[in-house]
Amino acid sequence: MTSLAARMRAPTQKFQTIETDIAIIGGGVAGCLAALGAAEIGAKVVICEKGGIIERSGSVAAGVDHYIAILEEGPEWDTPEYLLRHIPAVTEGVTDIEAAGRLVYGLKPMVHYLENLGVDFHDPENDDVPYYRHRAFGLPGQYHINFDGHDFKRSIGHAVRKTGAKVLERVMVTEILMEDGRPKGVVAFHIRHGAVYFVLARAIIVATGDANRLGRNASGFPFDSWHMPYNTGDGHAMSLRVGAKLGNMEFTDCTLTPKGYSTQGLNAFMGGGARLINALGEQFMPKYSPNAERAKRADLVNGVVSEILAGRGPIYCDCTHLPEPDIRRLERTLGVDRPALPDFFAQKKIDLAKEPFEISVGEIAIVRAGALFRGSGVDIDADCNSNIPGLFAAGDCSSVNAAVAGASVMGHVAGISAGRYALSQSRPKPLSADEQERIRETLYQPLQKEQGLKFHQFEDEVRSIVTGLIGYRRDERRLREALRRLNALRLREAELVAEDYHGVMRVNEARSIRTVAEALAASAIERRETRGGAAHFRVDYPEKDDDTGLRITLVEQVGDELQVSSRPTGIPSTVLSEVPVKKKEEA
Amino acid sequence: MPILIDENTCVDGCTICDFFCPGDIIYREAKDEPPVVKYQDECWYCGACVIHCPVDAVSIIFPPEMLDCQTDVMSLMGVSLPDDPDDQED
Repeated sequence: MTSLAARMRAPTQKFQTIETDIAIIGGGVAGCLAALGAAEIGAKVVICEKGGIIERSGSVAAGVDHYIAILEEGPEWDTPEYLLRHIPAVTEGVTDIEAAGRLVYGLKPMVHYLENLGVDFHDPENDDVPYYRHRAFGLPGQYHINFDGHDFKRSIGHAVRKTGAKVLERVMVTEILMEDGRPKGVVAFHIRHGAVYFVLARAIIVATGDANRLGRNASGFPFDSWHMPYNTGDGHAMSLRVGAKLGNMEFTDCTLTPKGYSTQGLNAFMGGGARLINALGEQFMPKYSPNAERAKRADLVNGVVSEILAGRGPIYCDCTHLPEPDIRRLERTLGVDRPALPDFFAQKKIDLAKEPFEISVGEIAIVRAGALFRGSGVDIDADCNSNIPGLFAAGDCSSVNAAVAGASVMGHVAGISAGRYALSQSRPKPLSADEQERIRETLYQPLQKEQGLKFHQFEDEVRSIVTGLIGYRRDERRLREALRRLNALRLREAELVAEDYHGVMRVNEARSIRTVAEALAASAIERRETRGGAAHFRVDYPEKDDDTGLRITLVEQVGDELQVSSRPTGIPSTVLSEVPVKKKEEA
Repeated sequence: MPILIDENTCVDGCTICDFFCPGDIIYREAKDEPPVVKYQDECWYCGACVIHCPVDAVSIIFPPEMLDCQTDVMSLMGVSLPDDPDDQED
């Protein structure tokens, strides 16, 4: 039942127009760095953020403990040239090499930029070294800095406040409005009191993060997800609707989790020396990767999926062979990326030293296309331009990203690029009263109905299709059926109901989730090869095919259908280990 | 009931859990009334409310579906379509 109070209020909610140079959708790491970049060249911004406060919002709101850096401290690997030469191998030859180059060359300056904002990259447990660096996630050197990043986001959010940027918190953007083929602003609403905003802008930066709640998990709770469940691909979906192309959408991400809790922590267990064992007690990973438990995440998932399908599940994570001090260190690490994880083991009454615990394959998500320096999202060039003039993207919602460091560097690039563009354009016209009325009506239509489809139910259908028909093992026939069902589900979006403004947010997220899943299905059909471990495994095309596969898959909306094409990566086809590098100037 | 707030420990006027919850789940709209966990089923189990509470009034209670999960992981491995003898899971 829609609450009467919300139905009564909806039509009369006041409509505020705010004029600015750049509207930034999302106030996470990429959105905040975009605001800082824009401020440097004198462009005004409005940030719209769904969370309560930008000092504590986005994926790293509660903290982060590792950051990818180049410092040129001496080792051969510690230069942008070296890392860039290895990007084709890291991304299996599928990423825009110019955009990846921009990111790589921005890594070193960004470390010092963030330090100036107050981020402390020093490791509290290693006072004797300036930075504690280690090798992880398949990168060809010790690029990851370990640090205490509990206040990382607070420092950045605080810096944004100091620029005088206008920050609208608890405000969700639902639509990008276009005029003459370029964006003219965004429609947004307050998720608690319902005020409607139109941010009139000359450029738009999409910085909405990754897309979760896409697939089923073991607990059956959709908000129990590895990455933040409130990131639902809203930017992917909004951009697609106005004609932007999304890249690499077929590559999905998932992790291995203690069964029942989709959480971070795999890296801590595998890095800490834990073993994966099957129901027969066999340590099986060496069969699938020479790196065994230290393999890339997508290869670990692939090994576990293979064992389960071969009937050798359940699968367990075993720490019982580890010395006591190693177990205690591991337990201390678990709470850093997910504060509630130590509580989970305590309440489950698991003593890691005494018994293995069962693990599960986590839900399918769109995070970073199964590899660093590649992403699944708005297809961008080295300046963060999408194919729509005036529409920019950065961070996990874009096609070239690399976790927090990627969001920082490319967010900053997007802010500068969008600022330059915005200041060269004429000001768009405000909305007429009729247009405002139409927007308000469409936005609050889910509040006007007595009954209809709940977002949970709608999303459950999407998740069943994604897990059942797209899944960890793909084939053309099931992908086509998934695409057909996801496309048909679009018609049911009009039936979605909400009881309050918070519910209107969930309804919009549910629509984004369906749209992203459809883009995933359409793209996965066209990549007729297997690449990236579990990221895209086709049982009907089980081999890597470099003749067709070394391209970026693009998906766009044409009418009510999605069309898929592809483009080259810029990586010379003959060279996958060494790439001629042209140094990009950091703006 | 994933999030439990101890009303006796909770401090009047503090709104940290309300503002820091990334999912807009915890509401404290009146200063002298305790926070309300309005959308329990939308909790991420991240623990942000727990670590940021200045008086340790918040705890997370994992439900049985998570602590003692009975799901067969095989059920997440995909479904076959009917009428297709060639369709294989792997």
